[in-house]
Amino acid sequence: MNTSLVQARGLTKIYREGEQQRVVFRDLDAEIGRNEFIALLGRSGSGKSTLLNIISGIDLATAGEVHVDGASLGSLSETARTLFRRQHIGFVFQFFNLIPTLTVEENLLLPLELNGRLDAAARTFAQDLLEEVGLADRVASFPDRLSGGEQQRVAIARALVHKPSLVLADEPTGNLDTDTGREVLALLARMHRASGTTLIMATHSRDAVNLADRVLTFDNGRLCSSFNRHTDPR
Amino acid sequence: MILRRASLRYLSRHPWVVGLSVLGVALGVAVVVAIDLANESARRAFSLSVQTLTGQATHQVVGGPQGLSEVTYRRLRIDAQVRTSAPVIEGHARSPDFVGHTFTLLGIDPFAEAGFRPHVSRDRNTPGLTRLLSEPATGLITRSTANRLGLKAGDTLRLRIGTIHHSLVIVGLIAPADSVTQQGLASVIVTDIATAQELLGMQGRLSRIDLIIADGDAELTRRIQRMLPKDATIIGSGRRSQALNQMTRGFRVNLTALSLLALLVGMFLIYNIMTFSVVQRRELVGTLRALGVTRPQIFRQVIAEALLIGGIGTVCGIALGIALGDGLVERVVRTINDLYFVVSVSELTITPLSLLKGAAVGIGATLLAALAPAWEATGAPVSTVLQRSAVEIRVTRRAPRVALVGLVLVVLGIGLLAMPSHSLVLGFSALFVLVAGFVLVIPIVTVWLMRGLKPIMGTLFGLLGRLATRSVAATLSRTSVAIAALAVAISATVGVGIMIDSFRQSFLDWLSASLRADIYVAAPVAQTGPSAATLDKRFIEQVSVLPQVAAISSGRRVRLDGPKGVQQLLVSQVDREQFQLYQLKHGNTDEAWQAFENDDAVLVSEPYAYRHAVALGDTISLRTGQGERRFTIAGIYYDYGSDEGRVSISRNTYNRYWNDRKITFIRIYAQPGVNVDALIEKLRNVAGEHDLFIRSNQALREASIQVFDRTFAITNILRLLATIVAFVGVLSALTALQLERARELAVLRANGLTPRQVWQLVTVETGLMGFCSGLLALPLGIGMALALTLVINRRSFGWSLETSIDPAVLIYGLSLAVVAALLAGLYPAFKMSRTSPALALRGE
Repeated sequence: MNTSLVQARGLTKIYREGEQQRVVFRDLDAEIGRNEFIALLGRSGSGKSTLLNIISGIDLATAGEVHVDGASLGSLSETARTLFRRQHIGFVFQFFNLIPTLTVEENLLLPLELNGRLDAAARTFAQDLLEEVGLADRVASFPDRLSGGEQQRVAIARALVHKPSLVLADEPTGNLDTDTGREVLALLARMHRASGTTLIMATHSRDAVNLADRVLTFDNGRLCSSFNRHTDPR
Repeated sequence: MILRRASLRYLSRHPWVVGLSVLGVALGVAVVVAIDLANESARRAFSLSVQTLTGQATHQVVGGPQGLSEVTYRRLRIDAQVRTSAPVIEGHARSPDFVGHTFTLLGIDPFAEAGFRPHVSRDRNTPGLTRLLSEPATGLITRSTANRLGLKAGDTLRLRIGTIHHSLVIVGLIAPADSVTQQGLASVIVTDIATAQELLGMQGRLSRIDLIIADGDAELTRRIQRMLPKDATIIGSGRRSQALNQMTRGFRVNLTALSLLALLVGMFLIYNIMTFSVVQRRELVGTLRALGVTRPQIFRQVIAEALLIGGIGTVCGIALGIALGDGLVERVVRTINDLYFVVSVSELTITPLSLLKGAAVGIGATLLAALAPAWEATGAPVSTVLQRSAVEIRVTRRAPRVALVGLVLVVLGIGLLAMPSHSLVLGFSALFVLVAGFVLVIPIVTVWLMRGLKPIMGTLFGLLGRLATRSVAATLSRTSVAIAALAVAISATVGVGIMIDSFRQSFLDWLSASLRADIYVAAPVAQTGPSAATLDKRFIEQVSVLPQVAAISSGRRVRLDGPKGVQQLLVSQVDREQFQLYQLKHGNTDEAWQAFENDDAVLVSEPYAYRHAVALGDTISLRTGQGERRFTIAGIYYDYGSDEGRVSISRNTYNRYWNDRKITFIRIYAQPGVNVDALIEKLRNVAGEHDLFIRSNQALREASIQVFDRTFAITNILRLLATIVAFVGVLSALTALQLERARELAVLRANGLTPRQVWQLVTVETGLMGFCSGLLALPLGIGMALALTLVINRRSFGWSLETSIDPAVLIYGLSLAVVAALLAGLYPAFKMSRTSPALALRGE
């Protein structure tokens, strides 16, 4: 049985800026297994977010192919990629990106409703998640009433509520202070382990590297893989 | 469901912006509904009136200028055994007790009425019918009319018919079985035929004979036609209604088109508000897309929001339209009465169709305006939706291509306008294409203008000036919409202003040339019946021998009904010098005069030639007392007094073919040095009991100009409404823009810009946008004016006008744009200058 969830083969991404081309990465290969926690490192502009966008189907590679959970995203239509993302992927953003006009509970239920799974069991699961992130008493609050750390905890719960096979986190602590960032990272790692999803996190955080199973580092448009010495079972 | 909730909460958190948008749609819809209701009320009142007066008649026998002889009816009913026939006398009367109210006098024979107008037939037990038959000067009105006028059975109603005052006793009140008949009879006084003949001075004569010919029996129709005198003919009863309806079509279409212009400006509002909401929520859209919301879902959400705004706006607009229509109907009816025919509207008719039309244009316009922003929200890939500057970059990059499409549309619009066609709808469609094309050019021109103005603004206002020009160009997606909305509204003001000026100038020139006599005398009530009010022969004889009078010329207005429609005939008795009053557009004055006086020739007015597609030297057919005769067109003259078109014929020629010597009006040329006012007083003494319109040249000129100005009163109201809609549009655009720029302004505040400077910055920006709008409105307004005067006006009314552009109209347009923008910018400027930098930096 193939245990890898994400397979990238010969991925190239080139942006055109007028007459000029900007190569983000070229011929990139990667394989990410199920239940893995990957920390994606690299300097700003190295291509971390672009890779996440391609893995999620938000963006398309200029060349190469990427398979997520057996689906070749490059061959899917825009609508099919959106439906795939809706069902299989959860997102955690640097700026939280909660819907400002929805309450905490409604923000959480949104992915369930989009997937047509807003039944009693799902609601209970959402409630459990909120308790787990410590915000069960804030269900009726709007995002602008929450602190940054609280907002990110809601975002983590939202990313997991529909039980995706893959969670993509794009610098989830980049907008938080050090202590809150650590708390959020710990929560994310704990919930990743509890839910059994794969987590790919673009980050600059040393703490995240320490928590990850494996670290993928962008270096001059190439991706180097290294196992975490703390978590590597070998 | 959750998505919808998010959307509703977003709208509820921006009440100002949404409220302004709703107001914009409401105003646009209100104008369209109000005009439609006013038009429809007038049309329906006229149609019901004709329908009720015509009753079940399928055909009518109509006569010449003096109607029909009673003998014709007798021969028809007794000799030819056409039992389903009824004699009718119809005329108009006014009452000094009810000023502004015109009654239709309907003289009938109740014994013959059964199959025609059951509500007044002998078979029906109408109270007072016996007295109507047995007593002279008696009449019936409907119960609702009596209530409305505060009359009851037994009251005496004072009437002025033609030049004479009469009294009529109301002997009974009719209670029509249905509301349609009740509305149709709202201004009708039913009398016995003998009473009507006496009141209208038509002893022994009839206005027409109504007939019911089963299944259009062609043989019977031919038999009746054969036995009629030569000046009479048989026509379908719907013909008259159709002809009169057709007559006002141009007037109605023009009003509708102008009301649509207000809606067009309202559409900019919707577009603007939806673009604003999409642009402001681009991060949100990006998040939703990342979470798996599909493009169609985003599209539906934006459209649903637009529909909600449009729906509320439309409902409010319909309610407002009904209220506005109530005020407008009087003006519309007055114009129709001034220009076309007598129609009385007692109340606004609210038809479901008018309301449906209002709802359809409101919702339709909203949908159309929301399509682009909805597409914008869904069309871009998720990654760029998340980028803040994406929309502005796209708009700026597309501006040249959009301008190119705009130029193509402008050329297409001009091409369509230049097409030889009589279609008014095509004309207005071309005008709208032209406007749409011009609007698409506005973004690129705005960028150029800002580049050009940057050094000037920098010199005038320093850093703030440079910031303002840069900001207008940098937020093109919103500023160009606001500029376009205001430019279109101002161009309408400029265009319609130039059109009215041109029209007024042409009208005044024509009036000066046409009104050459010192005094004009006419019977007071213009009548639609063939027996138009006439002057007493003895009065004319007495006037002509007065020592103060140098000369008189006379005229007779006649309406000829026929199978091909109605023709207005102006019988003119003038000498060679007085003939100059005809300003010929085509034809030589000397040759035309010779032919006019001596041959079977006529002059036709410019609108007549246009409507009937006839030219100099062609012949036209007129139904004379000796049957159909053809007359050569010896000249085509300018005539801004009637848009239905007139045929002018000399008295000599008329007398040769018609047995009618009556006179409708006279022109009096006073001896040199005579005091005109004193002469008018003298004429009033001569007139005695005859109530005549006796006016000096100056008074008639002023009265004509008053009618002209009254005609354009509605146009001016519509212009004003379009400007108000544009003002609301600019206000909403600026409010939205400034709210969205909260962060940017807060950064400027944090870096040391004082609240006063923020105020100045916003004000300079809005002033710039207003200036841009005004500047762009000028070429569009002039183009619109040319289209209106040279194409639309010609197709509507058949007149050719000289376009005269008064620089004052252009200065007014430019000033209006700047002032409107500055006023609209007051609130956003105030709001932004009061916002704390910290609050603004926190965002929403």
